[in-house]
Amino acid sequence: MMAQNIYNMTQVDGNWNNIPNHFDCFLIAGGSDCRAYEVLKKAKSDNVKIDNVYFFDFDERKKGINKKFKDAYNEYQKLGFNINKISCSIQDPSACIKSLPKLGIDFSKHEQPAIDISCFTKPYFYLILKHMQLINKFSSISVFYSEPKSYVFPKGLFSSYQSSIGPLNILEIPGYSGSDVRGQKRILVILLGFDGDLSREINEDVAPSETFIVNGFPGYAPKFKDISLICNERLIQEKNSEINYCRANNPFETFNLLETLKKDEKLQSRYGNFFMNIAPLGTKPMALGACLFAIHNPEVRIVYPMPENYIKVTTDNSWKSWVYSIPLMIRNLGHFGVGPR
Amino acid sequence: MLKENILNLNDSYKNPFSEYNANVMEPKTILSYWCSPFNFMQFAGVNESDVYTDKMPIVFIGGRGTGKTMFLKYFSFPVQIEEARKIVNDNRSSLTHFIQKGGIGFYLRIDGPRLRSFTGAGVSDETWLSIFTHYFELVLGREYIAVLKRLTEDEILNKKSVSQDFIPKIDKLIGNASKKSRSFEDILAEIDNKLLEVDEFRANIRFSNISFQPQKAFTSESLSFSIPQIAKETIPEFKEGINFIVLIDEFENFLAPQQRIVNALLKFVEPGITFRIGMRSEGFRTFETISKDDFIKEGRDYRKIVFEEVLIKDKGYQQFLKDIARKRLEKVKLFMEKGFVDISKILDNSENLEEEAKLLTKKNPGKHFDLLKDKSPHEIKLLENSDNPLIEMLNILWVSRKVGPNEVNQSMKEYLNGENTEKAKKYKRDYIDKYKLSLMFLLASVYRKKKMYYSFNTFSFLSSGIVGHFIELCRNCFQYAEFENRELLFQKGKILPIQQDKAAKIVGDTELHMIQRIEEFGDYLYRFTVNIGNLFRDYHKDKGIKYPETNQFAVDKGAIEEKYRSAFNAALKWSVIQKKPALQQPSPGKHVKDIYTINRIFAPRFEISYRTRGGYSVELTPQDVKKLMTENDVKPTPIRKRLRNKKNDKEGNWGQQSFDF
Repeated sequence: MMAQNIYNMTQVDGNWNNIPNHFDCFLIAGGSDCRAYEVLKKAKSDNVKIDNVYFFDFDERKKGINKKFKDAYNEYQKLGFNINKISCSIQDPSACIKSLPKLGIDFSKHEQPAIDISCFTKPYFYLILKHMQLINKFSSISVFYSEPKSYVFPKGLFSSYQSSIGPLNILEIPGYSGSDVRGQKRILVILLGFDGDLSREINEDVAPSETFIVNGFPGYAPKFKDISLICNERLIQEKNSEINYCRANNPFETFNLLETLKKDEKLQSRYGNFFMNIAPLGTKPMALGACLFAIHNPEVRIVYPMPENYIKVTTDNSWKSWVYSIPLMIRNLGHFGVGPR
Repeated sequence: MLKENILNLNDSYKNPFSEYNANVMEPKTILSYWCSPFNFMQFAGVNESDVYTDKMPIVFIGGRGTGKTMFLKYFSFPVQIEEARKIVNDNRSSLTHFIQKGGIGFYLRIDGPRLRSFTGAGVSDETWLSIFTHYFELVLGREYIAVLKRLTEDEILNKKSVSQDFIPKIDKLIGNASKKSRSFEDILAEIDNKLLEVDEFRANIRFSNISFQPQKAFTSESLSFSIPQIAKETIPEFKEGINFIVLIDEFENFLAPQQRIVNALLKFVEPGITFRIGMRSEGFRTFETISKDDFIKEGRDYRKIVFEEVLIKDKGYQQFLKDIARKRLEKVKLFMEKGFVDISKILDNSENLEEEAKLLTKKNPGKHFDLLKDKSPHEIKLLENSDNPLIEMLNILWVSRKVGPNEVNQSMKEYLNGENTEKAKKYKRDYIDKYKLSLMFLLASVYRKKKMYYSFNTFSFLSSGIVGHFIELCRNCFQYAEFENRELLFQKGKILPIQQDKAAKIVGDTELHMIQRIEEFGDYLYRFTVNIGNLFRDYHKDKGIKYPETNQFAVDKGAIEEKYRSAFNAALKWSVIQKKPALQQPSPGKHVKDIYTINRIFAPRFEISYRTRGGYSVELTPQDVKKLMTENDVKPTPIRKRLRNKKNDKEGNWGQQSFDF
């Protein structure tokens, strides 16, 4: 019988209903996007108690931005929380995490941790969640996320979106290298984003026997599903690729899909034990689902294109905010069933 | 019934060029697509049997898509055992196949993300070097054992000698202390456990400062050389001269310290073991070995074969491409049944420039005579040939070079009448041998339209010796044809030039776009390509056609500032630019230099010639290279000035003045 867990995914509404109203540790990344401090602002206005805000202050994000973006970046200072600033570089999340003890920062002394992943890069929040599990031994964490209302497409909707700047280096996300038993066939699951170059590069580098494409549907807006398909047309046309759909804002659906693939009998009969690679290029909630899956299946590898830099602002306005309760302790999770929405 | 059959054939159609990544092909597929390049061209003195028998390591160099992976995989055990089975039925006789070949290929590819994970996290380079040595030995050792297991299971090797003599020694080698009798599975599981130790270390070192403490550490050669030696000592079949050929793919992805480990193995290969390495141009990050005082040297320690050089210069290249296409076309039942298996017939062998010119000028014929504003209607009349705008363009060129309209008219007539006069010969030389294609580019520029890129001949030039480019061009044009003119493709086996042209342009655009994402110096390379492409484009718009089809440049690479020289090397590595095989004079009277071309796949993007005629090369200074890499939209004024100021520039400057920078 399949194990079932009820997942907890709640919309952060104006009254902060059904959400804990006290966190002793809240991690957030600095950013100039409108949604960067949306959750903190809502918490402030609803008198949610946050003892310590750990603010990841990215050097690269403050360089070369105009006054408008600078002011947006610094808005966190006006919220009146107890801010613990952690200077860090986007390029090296591992160095940042390893430096925490030297800075006297120990999250494990806290009991109610939370993180807002809206403006963290994916390698960063992946590493933080693994750190929370492996080093801090938290059994679960509240993960907040604010959806963007739209993305910035500089030259029209199709094929012009880029979230990163400059040359790419495809890397294993630190801590998620998986176990590659030689001789095993590989499959690659790409959580589809808008940047078609990235998916193609990763597919070529990983060279899987089969590629599963996961598109965010329903997306934050109806058009996003089509844009991502068009932007990735080349990859989709390739042989050995199959398209699947997962709700763009629900990490548990992504988790469930990955779990299904892992146990898929047809795949197992085709390839035996296979080496699963995941490239989380799509929305952050989908990436969170993949992160949750990889935490509970350490043999899985996460690959990600690390760019020279990221575009400073890629989204436009803020839409809904969500909080997900993410279990971190390793156990047989089974599938997630529908929980409160 | 017949109609139904045709419908079924149509329904079963799939783009014959859709499969192109050898990395993911099954052995049977590789075998079915394999076209031996040795059948069509000389490989720098290497023949097929040398791959198994030459003791010296061989490094195969080529850009993305040149077919290195296909090549290395073909020689690997899984493909060769398939080939053996096609020839002989019983397993034991398969041994003869390997004895005849002279070796067994062990294919090894470690992907980029994995290789890049053996660095950083506060661990010293030397420690990573030891860890990677350990990892590499285990990975290669596992590959050997997996193949030997299969050979034993298939009874190609004698089971008794393997289990009694070989396995115990290997057991001891990998550090199994127990006296219990073991199997291949046990050994593989043991190696997998040891690899798992490495994986766990790589994962955990990112969070805390731990040290790597394996149950047993493997040093260089401890498995890579020892396992073949033990096999040769203990398994009778290996005493008959079967070499262990280690085929390492994508060597350019190995980091410098990792390359040092393999370089040391190349340098000290032992009898019966050797290496075949596939990598991109400039893929050696270092020539050092583990000992930094020692290094490998071409000729002494390894032979080098450059795929693109061989493919570009060899006349067999087009035949090779045709054969590759034929194998793919034959897999489509519809094409096979109708005999549409010759790509040069489907695309047409070569372009028809006269027809293209007529089509291009159709809406506004004679507009090109605007170039001669100072000539009377009578004189213009003498230069006209309404059937062939390219001939008219040549006449305009001659007049611009101070040849009288009457003389031009006379030469044209004598040429068109097929007369054997000096004038006719000169006219023919200029039209057919020298300027025809240039005139087409110029004509397109006058009409503000784009030259089309089509035909098998053009595609083979555009592919620049990179088989993958050719397959991609074909894949795209078959896709357009299927969508836009399916009937013509399915019933007549033809693809229109316009669809081929679309394919050429989209592939050129995609490749150009991808340059930006190259991991190192991507921005520099993109700017350089765009700038130099635009510079060449200006040459193609020169109304005097002083330097026809200029698309190559000369530079003293050694004099380029280090950072930009590295970027230049990256351009070679990624085949953004290609070096011509031999030193050449940039132009008559100059010292010989290295000559480079931009990859011709970009030609449609810049509307420049798809072939390299030689003759004139733009000379770039090291400063020019830096400028072209670092500045956007570089106007080639300094280069133009150098050209204009040349004292020996005695030819008319009509063309030079017309440059519009």
